[in-house]
Amino acid sequence: MIRIRVQLPAHLRTLARVTGEISVEIEGAVTQRSVLDAVEVNYPTLRGTIRDQMTHRRRAFIRFFACGEDLSLESPDRSLPEPVATGREPFLVVGAIAGG
Amino acid sequence: MPEVALSGQSKLKAARVLCVGAGGLGSPVALYLAAAGIGTLGIVDFDVVDSTNLQRQIIHSTADVHRPKVESAAEKLRGINPFITVLTFDTQLSSDNALEIISDFDIVVDGSDNFATRYLVNDACVLTGKPYVYASVYRFEGQASVFATAGGPCYRCLYPEPPPPGMVPSCAEGGVLGVLPGLLGVIQATEAIKLVLGAGDTLAGRLLLVDALSMRFSELKLSRSSDCPVCGDHPTVHELIDYQEFCGVRGEERDNGLAVPEIGPVELKRLLDGGEELFLLDVREPHEREIVHIGGHFIPLGDLPERVHELDSAREIVAYCKSGVRSARAVEFLRSAGFRRVRNLTGGINSWAERVDSSLPRY
Repeated sequence: MIRIRVQLPAHLRTLARVTGEISVEIEGAVTQRSVLDAVEVNYPTLRGTIRDQMTHRRRAFIRFFACGEDLSLESPDRSLPEPVATGREPFLVVGAIAGG
Repeated sequence: MPEVALSGQSKLKAARVLCVGAGGLGSPVALYLAAAGIGTLGIVDFDVVDSTNLQRQIIHSTADVHRPKVESAAEKLRGINPFITVLTFDTQLSSDNALEIISDFDIVVDGSDNFATRYLVNDACVLTGKPYVYASVYRFEGQASVFATAGGPCYRCLYPEPPPPGMVPSCAEGGVLGVLPGLLGVIQATEAIKLVLGAGDTLAGRLLLVDALSMRFSELKLSRSSDCPVCGDHPTVHELIDYQEFCGVRGEERDNGLAVPEIGPVELKRLLDGGEELFLLDVREPHEREIVHIGGHFIPLGDLPERVHELDSAREIVAYCKSGVRSARAVEFLRSAGFRRVRNLTGGINSWAERVDSSLPRY
């Protein structure tokens, strides 16, 4: 089991009723898919907000980053960077906001 | 400064920068650009100053309440720097006027507060070849970048589509730390000045995330999307579109009109005074109820599904929140759960405070 750190945008933290960074335990390969599956199991209210509930594809107003790099267009089954997979760096879920 | 010198000041004097919005972001942007000597500053905003703006929209003061924002802003800017030209556009930026307005400026700084305007500004900037200095804020967090530069990404490369209406709360509904748009607006002003001077590295190709609670700044790499419908290799958007429709706003309004029965604050007051036995339902969060309430049963929107048994479907229910957005969702939920006599308080408790009981605080 590896504990993976995940940072959510403010409105999703409110929905998940958490105040800061969350973490999820992953068994096996640490990929976008395995991390987001675990997030949705632990925080069911987030289902459909990050990925489409039917297709499990990333929603167009959400992006994924890790270690400063944009991973949004990478395969969901590709391994996440080593610093994320070892829990040193967080996996970032960034969402569109429009306030001004 | 040697990096600016007389030649740089001349560039600033010759520059024409458009600020979209004279609100939380637009206030610091316009103030600093005027002070820096940007020769022609355009301000576009259709709104009037409201007392609830003053916590963050520092270009306006209490004496400006009810004045057009562009009028209030222009007065302050001319006070800071009488040697600049301030052009005001007291209108809503739209697909009908955006290209004409924007084409008269070198750089566009976006301080708008809704997705439709952000996509409109992006597309207009790409189509006219103007750099788009972007920032947005929500609660304690902000984002900033520079889009639509040569070879760089645009806003649609980052977010090809907006969230459905209601999924991401606005600042009016979810709140924003008053100084946060100040922080992000100053970053926007900095980027605009760098673009004018041609100095330094702008945020083009980078997304800056600001977390004011932890005071952490993160930088993320962005790339132009070859599939982008506006700036990609094979663009499909060649002219401005209907951005209200693109962002689903009209759909939401239409749905609300059919599915969410509304009651205005004045009508609600009349019914209550007449002895109607209405069941008020407050769906806000506990900290909001501490600020002000008009009585009624209290169930935060997020708790409604598991506490719906506390409500009697035979009673006539009026749901309220701060501005009417969350309570509309509560009404939608209750109607889907079989409640038929349920209405939404239009404009929420803030509208009640404005139109019925001015002794109540607005927030």
